[in-house]
Amino acid sequence: MVLIGESIHIISKDVSDAVKERNPKVIQDLAKAQAEAGADYIDLNLGPAKRDPEEVTQWLVNIIQGVIDLPVSVDTLNPIAMEAGLKACKKRPLLNSASGRTDSKELMLPLAKKYNTDVVISVLTDKGCPPDIDSRTESIMETVALANELGIPNEDIWVDPIILPVSADQKQVAEALEFINILQDLLPGVKSTVGLSNVSNGTPEELRGILNRTYMVMLGRRGLYSAIADVLDKELVSLNKGELPNIVDLIYKTMDGEAIDVSSLPQKEQDYVKTARVLMGETLYSHAWLES
Amino acid sequence: MEYKAPLETYAGKVAEVVIGKGEKAMKIGGESVLPFHFFEGTIENRPRLALEVFDAEPPGWSEWELKPYKDIISDPVAWAKKCLELGADLVCIRLVSTDPAGKNAPADKAASVVKQVTSAIKSPVIVYGSGDETKDIEVLTKVAEACAGENLLIGPLAKENYEPISKAALDHGHCIIAQTPLDINLEKELNVKLLKSFPRERIVIDPLSSALGYGMEYSFTIMERTKHIGVMFGDNTMQMPIIADLGSECAKTKQAKGNEKQGLLWESITALSLLLAGANILVLRLPESLKLIKEIIEGKI
Repeated sequence: MVLIGESIHIISKDVSDAVKERNPKVIQDLAKAQAEAGADYIDLNLGPAKRDPEEVTQWLVNIIQGVIDLPVSVDTLNPIAMEAGLKACKKRPLLNSASGRTDSKELMLPLAKKYNTDVVISVLTDKGCPPDIDSRTESIMETVALANELGIPNEDIWVDPIILPVSADQKQVAEALEFINILQDLLPGVKSTVGLSNVSNGTPEELRGILNRTYMVMLGRRGLYSAIADVLDKELVSLNKGELPNIVDLIYKTMDGEAIDVSSLPQKEQDYVKTARVLMGETLYSHAWLES
Repeated sequence: MEYKAPLETYAGKVAEVVIGKGEKAMKIGGESVLPFHFFEGTIENRPRLALEVFDAEPPGWSEWELKPYKDIISDPVAWAKKCLELGADLVCIRLVSTDPAGKNAPADKAASVVKQVTSAIKSPVIVYGSGDETKDIEVLTKVAEACAGENLLIGPLAKENYEPISKAALDHGHCIIAQTPLDINLEKELNVKLLKSFPRERIVIDPLSSALGYGMEYSFTIMERTKHIGVMFGDNTMQMPIIADLGSECAKTKQAKGNEKQGLLWESITALSLLLAGANILVLRLPESLKLIKEIIEGKI
């Protein structure tokens, strides 16, 4: 799975302070650390980028490109910042993201064509996040058709089903697995991506990793192409490289509903089985899901 | 071919909780089907109906709420006896006097009231503290000590104070009420934590009850899901009986305050709805609505 490093995020106080002070070091260190950890892309999350959008975005893209050789995922809702960022990219970037929202269709999607980028298209619409698999499908079919009309081929499109926190909406977490599973039938040739860590948003900090890692393996099995993820999580990168085949196998068995004698397994394996069961919607989530 | 009605088979069973001791002992829960699904299995223990007793004169009660207890409102023992005469299966003592935001009465005094009531009446006793998470530790621990062996049902235990209170309940032989704020995930979390040191057969869940028109559908959904998850899907951390403490919630509504008949209907409809959702114990305020609900349960209406 292609991993997009998520750590340069404007919500992080270190990052936002560094941007305010135009202090490149913090950001460059994060870029280097993620590149060394195994990221394939570096996500540059600017949020709405209200102040000096062009100048800030170009500065960021440039300082990152000054220290690493990876392509950048320019992650903002602001089309002005987006365009400035794409222009500054040396390698073919990822436009992150467009969606089914009217403003996004009008202002973001055309930029993907203009700058010949790969583009993330999410299922969001003017009404927000579609509540079930059918409405997700409806939204994405419509937006991808529009992208095709603009001359963007399916191969350049990375569909994002929008992952919700398991602590808030467990049903949709299971449904996103199914959505990824049927995606190639719906839109042959498209790629896909998710904001992986969102699945563990709202979960106590020390327990987030195992949710992220397990969900990555599960989504991967259903055909997910890439994930915006915490690549500084070593176990996550190892799993992705296939270095932990036993864990992957156990998660697959859990997904297949095979009988597993959980109590006979070592602690770590037990935790992965329990987590997979929660993410499938088989057991009710609580913050104490590993304790029972 | 003979028609056979499709019947659900269930993976789990609600724990049977026994409260009270000796001749007073009463069984709660224990069903292995959804509420009122008599066609799919047996429901041995019908829902139990409690009336409220306050340990201090209740503030702001309307004339018709006070009427049945007119002369005994400052005598919890007499009040509790009256509740049983009026048809209640058991009584629920509210230790409102202990609330730090109100009278802030000492824990000892409240515990002695509970003890007097418990020894004077012929039913099990539910005890609710004031809901102040800190003060309840002291109050409910004292109650547990003073009534050791009586097998009271005491609560509420919340995420903030479940450890000391559950320990006291365990040491002195009582059942507990695990309370969470209308959130199924938090409900499960508290159950999981409690189950590490407390037996399942002595826990009752209070997911919070809201009145008709004031969020009752949230309470309904959570009770219904609790039963689905525990009984249909067999999650053994969700297989405890449920208490619906709804009388005082209904009494707070504008509709109940303004009009006696409306108040009666408000409480009865909320009570019936939450029974259908799966409540095993109802705490009611009005004897008339208790009578109505009892007749419905017994199939007389």
